[in-house]
Amino acid sequence: MSDKNNTGVPFTAADASEQQLWDALEDYPQASPSAHLRRSFFQELDRTSSLRWHDRLRNFLGFSGNLGWLTATVCLALGLTVGQLQDRVPAGDSQSLAALQQQVTILNRSLILDRLENASASKRLRGVFDASSIAEYDVEVARALLTRATEDSVSSVRSAAIDALGPQLREPEVGGELMASLEAAESPLVQLALVDLVLRHGSTAQLQRLIQLADLGRLHEDLVQYVESSVQGEKI
Amino acid sequence: MQAVSDEQLIQWVAGGDSSCLGTLFERHHRALFKYCLQMTRRDALSEDLVQDIFLKILRKAASFRGDGSFKAWMFNIARNETFDYLRKTQRQGALSRVDESFEEQLVDSRSAEQAAAGKQNVQLLQQALAEMPAAVREVIWLGRFEFQNYEELGQALGCKRDAARVRMHRAMKLLNETFATLNGAPIDV
Repeated sequence: MSDKNNTGVPFTAADASEQQLWDALEDYPQASPSAHLRRSFFQELDRTSSLRWHDRLRNFLGFSGNLGWLTATVCLALGLTVGQLQDRVPAGDSQSLAALQQQVTILNRSLILDRLENASASKRLRGVFDASSIAEYDVEVARALLTRATEDSVSSVRSAAIDALGPQLREPEVGGELMASLEAAESPLVQLALVDLVLRHGSTAQLQRLIQLADLGRLHEDLVQYVESSVQGEKI
Repeated sequence: MQAVSDEQLIQWVAGGDSSCLGTLFERHHRALFKYCLQMTRRDALSEDLVQDIFLKILRKAASFRGDGSFKAWMFNIARNETFDYLRKTQRQGALSRVDESFEEQLVDSRSAEQAAAGKQNVQLLQQALAEMPAAVREVIWLGRFEFQNYEELGQALGCKRDAARVRMHRAMKLLNETFATLNGAPIDV
């Protein structure tokens, strides 16, 4: 409740017991969040607030992070190529267009890698969505996505990255790290994303490991039930 | 009376001053936590949801049009986040049991005498509320503890004022029936 003396909306019931129940709700005991919530929220907010306006502009344009120089170089090359294409005779069009397409691909990739490293959680989330389309074919992007999936401080970014890594779950490196983080994950949201991933894309061995973790009580209580009912559903 | 209104603060957040979100967090995170806890019955999960809700508020700050209160807008975001989670888990029948830690979390701040007298009612109320569908439980929770008029309650629930009033009366009727079934008789305060 935001205010202690908040009495709720006006409520008058024709039934006396309903009205008594409404009045009795006033004594309903209240819970409080732990100090961890405030700490983790302000840590995340600090990271976002520390970006100054020119940093924000650089982020927006994709020029920040370790690969910012690459973005700038590719933009320059792209500009020069477009300029050259405009001056050229039609015979060289197909080659130039292929080169242009390749450069656009490189630019797109560097933007994605930059976004995945961004200080802002919403930018990282955007990076995760963009990366999901190319992670299957690009080892470096898959690696960056795996880092988000296992280390990001914001549970929604981690969950989205886990979801995006679905097609790679059976690859030894990705599968190994995700299965390890399944056991270590404290957040039920993150654990749910991992459980979902294993149920949808996991190998037989990974499914068996998931069931084993559920049996050993190493998953959150409601997820144990989720795993059991999902596995039973599969058997039926 | 607060020196700076929530509506002013969210406009500053939309203008790029994300530090104002800290003030909004201080004002509302407890209420959001209680709402999420009531809906999910899981404390760790509720804390995750609260953080996600505030990060969503940061991203969506520019979409606050100011035609209602910030609080109603915030709870509208909160219920979307919470129901997304509930839809995902309840599809498989999870979250049907009440978490024991949730029960332990509840703090009874009344005097010992009052607490003894009303203890059974409170326990039955908890049980009855837990048995309500989430969509009914949230109407009772928001209407009883968070909002003081049906206009705002409707904004939070994404419906008109009159619809909010009807939903509240239906929800209380259902709670009363469930309570009476559990108790063997209507409430006697």
